[in-house]
Amino acid sequence: MRNLINFIIRNSWWLLAVLLIVFSFYLVFTQNSYQRSVYLSSANRVSAELYRISGKLTSYFYMQKNNEELLAQNAKLQNELQALKSYLNDLALDSIQTQSFVGDSVSDMRFRFIPANVVNVSFFGSNNYITLDKGLQEGVKADMGVVSQNGIVGVILAASDHFSVVIPIVNPKFRLSAKLKHSENSGSVVWDGKDLHYAQLEQLPKHEVFHEGDTVVTSFSRIFPKDMIVGYVVGQGKTNDDNFNAFKIRLATDFYTLQHVLIIDDTYYEEEYSLEKSVEQP
Amino acid sequence: MKISLLHDIIWFVGLILLQTLVLNRISVFGVAVPILYIYFLIKLPRNSNLFYVVISGFLMGLIIDIFLNTPGMNAAATTIVATLRKPLIDVFFSKVEYEDFVPSIYTGTGAFLRYIVVMVLLHQTLLFFIESFTFFNLTSTFIHIAASSVLTLILIVALDSLMYRRTSGI
Repeated sequence: MRNLINFIIRNSWWLLAVLLIVFSFYLVFTQNSYQRSVYLSSANRVSAELYRISGKLTSYFYMQKNNEELLAQNAKLQNELQALKSYLNDLALDSIQTQSFVGDSVSDMRFRFIPANVVNVSFFGSNNYITLDKGLQEGVKADMGVVSQNGIVGVILAASDHFSVVIPIVNPKFRLSAKLKHSENSGSVVWDGKDLHYAQLEQLPKHEVFHEGDTVVTSFSRIFPKDMIVGYVVGQGKTNDDNFNAFKIRLATDFYTLQHVLIIDDTYYEEEYSLEKSVEQP
Repeated sequence: MKISLLHDIIWFVGLILLQTLVLNRISVFGVAVPILYIYFLIKLPRNSNLFYVVISGFLMGLIIDIFLNTPGMNAAATTIVATLRKPLIDVFFSKVEYEDFVPSIYTGTGAFLRYIVVMVLLHQTLLFFIESFTFFNLTSTFIHIAASSVLTLILIVALDSLMYRRTSGI
């Protein structure tokens, strides 16, 4: 009897192996619940803290480029400021008519921006995720939009107390409704898993025309404000469905050197969501 | 025994840190990602407890998964490789070698190279095909497997040569 038990114990390692493999595949196939879990993603304390330290170190390498970008941004804002100032001067001359509108938009800000730093970008095959150093404590919640200074980045997937994980546009599971700036027909932006600089704008009507360099912006989305820049058209794309048109676009955000992002806090999100939910119910 | 356990733990943690903090940020031409953490399994002594091999393989994969947000992919691939490790060693290395035999580039270069080529190719193939369940693109999957395997093999050979020189120098 003892020999039999010993025999089973000695040879049951493969049973354990099979169990572990089955468990791993279970994780693979129940992805959504898994990725929403904070403990098994890079939003957990240990891995996120480690990434934060290494992110701090590597951020020095990109300082030069970031600086240049900030300067460019600054210049652009400065220009806008001057333009607005002169515009305001013009308006001041007939301020009597506009008095009734002023103050309205300032007191009622719909979108609030939370600045955050990228602590890790994991590019593993086509499963790309980004970890940020802001979490629940700073008011970050799942399903918030994330943008960089150049264009949109992605959507918050999970948040812990101090960290959050973003699913970026460059993840095949991510879809975003978008349109050409000069048109009203919306399609969806899909990443094809190859190049972090390019994606496709699909499901546009056949008659849609494009010019190289056309701006692609967000259309109806519960997560992003309207008309945020997604990328620029570079050419005709590939599509399996002949009834629709597809364009290849260059993404506005450079995911290789991404350092600073803004998280969009839509103060009306809950309201809009619950209203739409209440309508859907029979 | 205790020293060898400590040795293993240091390698385990070190390879995970190297993989997640350095190697996963390297993407040569956007296709090749070096996946070096398999080196831990390659270097375990031949007569290691099989439970130990399988569990450490699984844990390694799972921790890598947690860092990379890849659900269960690395865990599945690495556990399968850990399970097949013992038969593979028996195929490539003659059975007469001594008990605590550790595969190394200096204990039979040809056999070691064949052994690591099979281990790495198996691991990468599993990894990229498990990934392809959710996202299918056959040509690019094969290119990924080939490029990443070559890069990983170069790193393993380099690391192994380096380790031997350091230990023999002391």
